[in-house]
Amino acid sequence: MLPYLRLELMRLLRDRRFLAFTTVMPIAYYLLFTSIGSSAGSAAWSVYFMVGMAGFGALAGAVSAGGGLATDRSIGWLRQLRITPLPSSQVVAAKVSANMVAILPALVLVCVAAAGVHGVRLAAWQWVALVGLLWAGALPFALLGLAIGYLASPLSTGPLMGFGMFGLSLLGGMWFPVTTFPGVMQTISHVAPTYHYANLSWNVAFGQAPAVSDAAVLVAWAALFAIIAMLGYRRTSRAW
Amino acid sequence: MADTVPFMDVPLTTAIELDAVTKCFGEVRAVDSLNLAIGRGETVALLGPNGAGKSTTIGMMLGLLAPDRGTVKVFNRSPAQVVAAGMVGAMLQDGGLPGGVKVSELIAFARSVYPRSMPTRGVLAIAGLEELAGQRVDKLSGGQRQRVRFALALAGNPDLLVLDEPTVGMDVESRRAFWAGMRAYAADGHTLLFATHYLEEADAQADRVVVITRGHVVASGSGAEIKRSARGQVVSFDLDGTSLFGLEGLPGVVEVEVHGQRVRLRTNDADATVAALIRERGMVRNLQLGGPSLEDAFVALTENDEAKESA
Repeated sequence: MLPYLRLELMRLLRDRRFLAFTTVMPIAYYLLFTSIGSSAGSAAWSVYFMVGMAGFGALAGAVSAGGGLATDRSIGWLRQLRITPLPSSQVVAAKVSANMVAILPALVLVCVAAAGVHGVRLAAWQWVALVGLLWAGALPFALLGLAIGYLASPLSTGPLMGFGMFGLSLLGGMWFPVTTFPGVMQTISHVAPTYHYANLSWNVAFGQAPAVSDAAVLVAWAALFAIIAMLGYRRTSRAW
Repeated sequence: MADTVPFMDVPLTTAIELDAVTKCFGEVRAVDSLNLAIGRGETVALLGPNGAGKSTTIGMMLGLLAPDRGTVKVFNRSPAQVVAAGMVGAMLQDGGLPGGVKVSELIAFARSVYPRSMPTRGVLAIAGLEELAGQRVDKLSGGQRQRVRFALALAGNPDLLVLDEPTVGMDVESRRAFWAGMRAYAADGHTLLFATHYLEEADAQADRVVVITRGHVVASGSGAEIKRSARGQVVSFDLDGTSLFGLEGLPGVVEVEVHGQRVRLRTNDADATVAALIRERGMVRNLQLGGPSLEDAFVALTENDEAKESA
């Protein structure tokens, strides 16, 4: 599996689209929306939006593992891999691992930008916990990406991925605080996996312990995505 | 059918064995009770028109498709087992290559997943990729990509190499280089099976040609044996401005071909054809009588099969 992980990592690091979504865009939006508008210069907003944008990059990068897999299937690369001794399950595991590894630098860079440009200062444990939670917490979204990649038609994969990235991050309060949403949307937000994902790190960033309830909801979503992805895998693996 | 066709002695150790294999896609019977045995060290061409079932047969040999009926054995084991053991390398018609990687990186990866891989230099040399090793796969031409796919099939130094229409999209130069590499590989005692619809390629490169049509084997033997099996003969002459009218109705004639001013009549009864030709036309220029080409044999074999089917 390791050689394939290496190959996948090389592909990702040379993929401009992937780097744009996971690194360039989150940093650019972070710097933009913390420098203009009424909340510009607010220390709390600089911290809040740092978590939002680092989380968005991680989310986008994790979800795109499924898109990559769908592309590999349509170009026939997965068929090619099937006639090597590498088992299909390891191909999938390597693909997800590669995306998980590749989002880590992007995540750190958003934090570096926050510390460098807006002077965000946190305790060492906070930085470690925050980056760790944003990183590990992105795994359920990789499973969501796989579920979409397996079950959606090649044409609808793109729009669904887009909804996954933007819709869910918006709903989770990663672009605007959930408290500014109208009532119904707030209620929906509190069910969304992205809200609980980001809230773990918001708690840490504002000096609180991450809530067990957030972790529990995220794990439940992860289990659901895993089941759907597994069903999709069983259905499509034969057609490779 | 198969019983009237000379079969080469089937070697003691078989590399591939298909026994009464059938595979349907909905209503379409892509492979129909196909029997085939390929010995270790043989180079065999699977020759057939498009839609004859070549790719489906190969898909079952590689474990990509499961047969509806019958058994497929490779080195006496299931296809999935030999693929997992790294004993098979294959070049598929629709096998794609990932973007963003260099040729050398892709080959290094392929080598790493096989237990007894070939040295990188050897892979590059046989596939004719020495000068392209540092290139990104997505920047290559169609023919060059085809060579990369060939390199991937080779990298594991497999005992059996299966190639589905390997030279499609290659220019003359690439094609020549490809077959030179292939012969070097086969000379080491490796087993090689390739599907093609190019008759010359099958005739020139394979020890044995297996003709497939409508999902089953209609002939198997060397190129020369297959030509003989078609029996019929070819009567050719110069048209010299005379009409084509009536040629198809001559006794024995199965097919009329015109190349410029030259006419080729494929016939089952050359004596009757020539006698009738002279009787009707008085004189014909440059009359020639010859044996069938591999192509004539091929056409005859597939036609006979269709006639048998509809009878």
